[in-house]
Amino acid sequence: MQGLSSAPPAAFLLVLVLLLRLSSLLLLPVAAVPVAERELNPSSRLAAGAARVALHYLNFQTASPGALQALGQVRKATVKSIPDSGHKYYLQFTTEDYRSGENAGSCLATVLYRKTKSPPVVNIKCMPTKDEKQIQEEDNRLYQKIRHQTKPIIGNNIPDSYGNIEPALEPVWALAVAGSSYIMWEKSTENLGYFMAQVKSVKQWIRKDDFIEFDYTVLLHEMPTQEIISCHMRLTWLPGHPLKVKYFCASENQGLEDGSGMESGSAAGILHERGANF
Amino acid sequence: QYRNENLEKAVCRTLSPNQILFPFSFQLDFWINPSTPALPVDVRIPANSVQAVKAFLESHGIEYSTLIEDLQVDMACSQQRDRSSNSFNYGTYNSLDSIYAELDHLASEFSNIVSKLKIGESYEKRPLYVLKFSTGGRNRPAIWIDAGIHSREWVTQASAVWIAKKVTSADPSITSLLNKMDIFLLTVSNPDGYVFTHTTNRMWRKTRSKNQGSPCVGVDPNRNWDAGFGGPGASSNPCSDSYRGPRANSEVEVKSVVNFIKNHGNIRAFLTLHSYSQLLMYPYGYKCTKPADYAELVRHNDLALSLYGTTFTVGSICTTIYQASGGSIDWSYDYGIKYSFAFELRDTGRYGFLLPVNQIIPTAEETWLGLKTIMEHVRDNSY
Repeated sequence: MQGLSSAPPAAFLLVLVLLLRLSSLLLLPVAAVPVAERELNPSSRLAAGAARVALHYLNFQTASPGALQALGQVRKATVKSIPDSGHKYYLQFTTEDYRSGENAGSCLATVLYRKTKSPPVVNIKCMPTKDEKQIQEEDNRLYQKIRHQTKPIIGNNIPDSYGNIEPALEPVWALAVAGSSYIMWEKSTENLGYFMAQVKSVKQWIRKDDFIEFDYTVLLHEMPTQEIISCHMRLTWLPGHPLKVKYFCASENQGLEDGSGMESGSAAGILHERGANF
Repeated sequence: QYRNENLEKAVCRTLSPNQILFPFSFQLDFWINPSTPALPVDVRIPANSVQAVKAFLESHGIEYSTLIEDLQVDMACSQQRDRSSNSFNYGTYNSLDSIYAELDHLASEFSNIVSKLKIGESYEKRPLYVLKFSTGGRNRPAIWIDAGIHSREWVTQASAVWIAKKVTSADPSITSLLNKMDIFLLTVSNPDGYVFTHTTNRMWRKTRSKNQGSPCVGVDPNRNWDAGFGGPGASSNPCSDSYRGPRANSEVEVKSVVNFIKNHGNIRAFLTLHSYSQLLMYPYGYKCTKPADYAELVRHNDLALSLYGTTFTVGSICTTIYQASGGSIDWSYDYGIKYSFAFELRDTGRYGFLLPVNQIIPTAEETWLGLKTIMEHVRDNSY
């Protein structure tokens, strides 16, 4: 089936091209250094990757497990090459509530991936449909749910193999997403992106003050390598306060299987991180 | 074939069985033979005799009860009962044994269109089973669909089994496809990996083959095809989750499919299921240039994947997900199978591989719509 529009006559096209060339010449300031900026296909991996980095940063900074956001659709994306700095992405995208999938609004963000090894620099402004009071209430609800447990919380495999999350552990999972966002933001590069795949284990540390504290092992799914990265994360939180996260990551699939019983994954990681001469 | 035949239990009260002569035309088949009076007798009655037999028994004052309304259905179920006590639940993630039992069940219950073929064995010697859906003909143009090449992508094997069941339904749109084409469906492409995800490591992706000189196990079966093999987007490290393997087709799971496709000779579409990301991709992965048939393949932008409003992004592997060499649809496309597509099913990262079971059937349903649209296009555009 052919398209309905007919091709414009050749002469008209020629005039159009000439007009465009003239106008672009006129717009260029005489002394400007052209900075290559190009429009990206909104469905491209680079655009989606950058939007996710912006959201990791937002989720960590917001420090509200009740207001976590996930990427909806990228609407517009451009990238600029900044000399002696790196690549800067300009993004417009919609978001969804991380837990429910409901539309959560839209955001404008810039993400600068620097040539030097450092976390991406993110600026993000969102128009949420949830208001501050709602977010506070939700955070308090999650906080109280955790505080009211009679024993220190421990858990494994959240969600489990079947995608199931025990209702009692949902707040703990949401906190893990918030904390992991910090890790994922720090580790992201223009070509490496992350998703939190699973909370492998969680253990609560009881504190004398009002803060809640957890020790997590989280599994991150790294793209495009497809690796599963295991990270230990110590997280502290109180509603209305910033999240405090300390972490250490190691690659998981270093011969863990074969029933040898060795936690060789993390051992190898420790050696790697401390720069041992192996 | 015992379709619509009743199994009746007849109890004789006052008359001894020998004194009742059942008309020969009833074609009764005694499963528990008449022995002594007052002991029940079990009889199989052909469909067209049921009414007459009931009338006969009633007129002679013989009590009876129907044990089984439709023997064919019950026999199919009881075959399965031999292996598991429940009927197959399409809305959950099943073990390999359970899936294989269901494939057998489908092949026997719908033997007029379904047959099960073994196309090879995995590294650990598990059978690789393909279901063939066909209404006849000789080597008709065929569609190839596979799932579970990456074992942790559980929604794909689950969707594939649902799709197998769907194809057996008497839906006119399906009949119209099967009138012209056969369908080959490999529901579990990587059974060793799948078992490993159940027993040991839910996040296992690769095959389970031993790598010489390395403690690390397995090859990424979707970097092992002979398409740009060894190029960017695949690792040369056996410990990597995207390890390409020592050479193209080193994995028996891959080689078996290649052999099948080549021997068949008339495969017109090659469709493969992965998760997650919600994408529909065409070649290439090993290079970022457009395939020659780009314009036609991209038309599937308006695929009806909107059953539940789930959006799927359409694009080439390279631009949409990442550059990856040695992928299956690159091989099939360069081999000459124009309609080569890779699906990434739900979700977009929230649950990822651990998709909740209540999303299995909706995922299978929307995926089926996408597959069907492609298959209808293939049917109407023979090349």
